[in-house]
Amino acid sequence: MTAASRWAGLAALLALWQGLALAGDGWLLAGPVQVAEWLWSNPGPTGRATAATLGNAAWGFLLGNGAAIGLAGIAALWPRALTLVAGLALVVFCLPLIATGPILRVLMGPGDGPQIVLAALAVYYTTLIPLLAGLRAMPQAWLDLVQSYGRGRWAELVHVRARAALPYLLAGLQISAPAAILGAMVGEFTGAERGLGVLTIRFTRDLDVPALWAAATLAAGLSMAVYAGIGWLGRRALSDPPPVILAAPRPVRGSPARKAAQAALLIGVVLVLWWAAVAGLNPFFARRPPDVAAALLWAPDAAATRATLGAAVAQTAGLALPGYAAGLALGAGLAVLLTLRPGLAAVTVPLAVALRSIPIVTTAPLVVLLLGRGATGTLTLVALMVFFPAFVACQQGLAQAPGPILDLFRSHASGPLRQMLHVRIPAMLPALFASARMTVPAAILAATVIEWLATGQGLGNLMALSASVSDYDMLWLTMVAATLLSALLYWAVAWAEGRVLAVMATEQVRP
Amino acid sequence: MAEIACTGVSKLYGDSILAVDGIDLTFVSGRTTALLGPSGCGKSTLLRLIAGLEEPTAGTVSIAGDPPAALCRRGGLSIAFQDPCLLPWLTVARNVALGRKLARQAPDPQRVDQLINLVGLGGFQNARPAALSGGMRQRAAIARALITRPQVLLLDEPFGALDALTRRQLAQDLPPLWQEQDATALLVTHSVDEAVMLADRIVVLSPRPARVIADLAVPLPRPRDPETPAFRRLAGDVLAVLARGGEQAQSLAAQ
Ligand SMILES: Nc1ncnc2c1ncn2[C@@H]1O[C@H](COP(=O)(O)OP(=O)(O)OP(=O)(O)O)[C@@H](O)[C@H]1O
Ligand SMILES: [Mg+2]
Repeated sequence: MTAASRWAGLAALLALWQGLALAGDGWLLAGPVQVAEWLWSNPGPTGRATAATLGNAAWGFLLGNGAAIGLAGIAALWPRALTLVAGLALVVFCLPLIATGPILRVLMGPGDGPQIVLAALAVYYTTLIPLLAGLRAMPQAWLDLVQSYGRGRWAELVHVRARAALPYLLAGLQISAPAAILGAMVGEFTGAERGLGVLTIRFTRDLDVPALWAAATLAAGLSMAVYAGIGWLGRRALSDPPPVILAAPRPVRGSPARKAAQAALLIGVVLVLWWAAVAGLNPFFARRPPDVAAALLWAPDAAATRATLGAAVAQTAGLALPGYAAGLALGAGLAVLLTLRPGLAAVTVPLAVALRSIPIVTTAPLVVLLLGRGATGTLTLVALMVFFPAFVACQQGLAQAPGPILDLFRSHASGPLRQMLHVRIPAMLPALFASARMTVPAAILAATVIEWLATGQGLGNLMALSASVSDYDMLWLTMVAATLLSALLYWAVAWAEGRVLAVMATEQVRP
Repeated sequence: MAEIACTGVSKLYGDSILAVDGIDLTFVSGRTTALLGPSGCGKSTLLRLIAGLEEPTAGTVSIAGDPPAALCRRGGLSIAFQDPCLLPWLTVARNVALGRKLARQAPDPQRVDQLINLVGLGGFQNARPAALSGGMRQRAAIARALITRPQVLLLDEPFGALDALTRRQLAQDLPPLWQEQDATALLVTHSVDEAVMLADRIVVLSPRPARVIADLAVPLPRPRDPETPAFRRLAGDVLAVLARGGEQAQSLAAQ
């Protein structure tokens, strides 16, 4: 049934796409037939580019997930490290890939290094977070059993936690496979020699519409294929159904002083790691924390730097925030609507699940092509980037409404609307917030990518500009600014989440 | 061998729930003791204290003179929890064998098979816990507890989810397994008949916080028959003690 409706949805989408292409004048929109023709007649370059991108994505996938598994293991063996590990993971997650790209480029030189690192960075968080949850998602009694034989954390990990976390790991790996392609392509956007990202940039410059659509289709198709492939492997490997809610570990509880101490420790460790990463490299481009602080605070032209940076941050935030909010609202709203209209959902939901796997950012040039270089394009891209994960998460949250309570409402002859308001929407909130947190960096990434590629505004543009004129102070500053922007928004969402769920809490809140 | 000594043991959960209050008890090896008491009185907590899974807030628990952890590390203690606690991804046979693995004992597939048959799960060796009934899971957990030939065996309502016939069958078949090894066995149960049937000694606990309100020997010869007058008389006595414990608590609460 699901498989059938998924194919039906896909066929409907293709037909719609072809119809629009036929109706249009061919300047903006190439239909599936044209795309297939183009791919058929240009097998050589596309094949090589695809191989390069897939190779980099695969290396990044291995490295990033390996790091995630290692760190999760450390956190399982030394629970005290959990706060620091989760905090560092968050900082890395908030790093703007598009600015990290050029910095890695100057640090690592030409070649595949930056693409691989970016792919690893793109996958690392989405695996680590479910894994950290999975390593703790078990009844205390299972751990008591191990302890009653006088065994310690290592035996817990080997006999209980590792296997219990497996479904969570597979869920994380599935999401991270398309993310690896995204990371590799963003790396290619920022100055590689080969790959689908490079082709995309070239076609954008040449305004080669069929080629552009073909490259985007290829990237989207690859993403859906790896997503579906890992999902299939996971279903073969496991009999238990995959967990759905991918919530981050709960924020630290405790006194404000303790929280402040932990935040300070985190900032300290980040600075030390930054310093260590650039140690021994040419300080001309490998800027250290004091260099960047000087450029911002006490260099002769610090005031001008601050003004430029501030304006760019304001521009980016001004578009990213409304787009982010719109994407969340649309995702949640559509999920609610479709739950009230289950017939429609049978076709749209599988389609959305498939489309979620597409890294929307890689289609940025198409969005520019269709919507122009103005604010509409940026808003749309950001909203789309947020929409799919939010929609799918909300859909799953709504479906998780506790059956006995729904039965209770039905037994009192309450209609679907009442059930929605009193049971389903409260059950959806944890999923909505989890996706809201996870999509924050994606929103900033989408905004900066489109600024970098097209709009000539905001942080993304400033990154591109400072990379091209070798203004490395500004390049590092833009990276710090974008990271802080993501982190602040993330914490704001987490704060709101705590507030709302404390009131509306269902059993789902603590998995 | 493995004598358990509780001296002045108390357990306070949080800062208001006193679950166990000043328990002084000694359990000698080779003997089976039944712990009886109303629901929520602190029986499971007492077992967890003896297994070293909780630290007492006052008093000490020692096994053969050492803290419980020492015997646990040697694989000499088994506890069957009130909730069967099988790992869902392992088959019944592997769940039972896990006991030996965790106790760092060499695998013994023959004994695994033998015990599974003895608890009446023959044919279910390769079934997963999800495919078992509640009572079947409990029996698998008992087999896991017995597989290591423990010196101290703690059973928390092991027959809670079983029908009367199976209960009686297991009550006959299982005790020899630990008695022949001279194990110190503690059995929490809600059934007075079961306590009289299985135990050499019955300790009756008060409603929460658990205090000892009666400590009775069971001087009946084995095998025991619940229909004999001596058995019925003893069971009646125990029930009366339990009831009195409840009344005392009520009058205390009323004051
Ligand atoms: N981890 C815990 N935290 C707080 N209170 C607890 C905890 N475990 C048990 N308690 C409390 O301690 C008391 C005794 O619990 P315990 O599980 O020992 O009872 P029990 O005698 O085994 O009951 P039952 O016969 O129903 O199994 C109860 O009031 C319970 O609420
Ligand atoms: Mg109990």
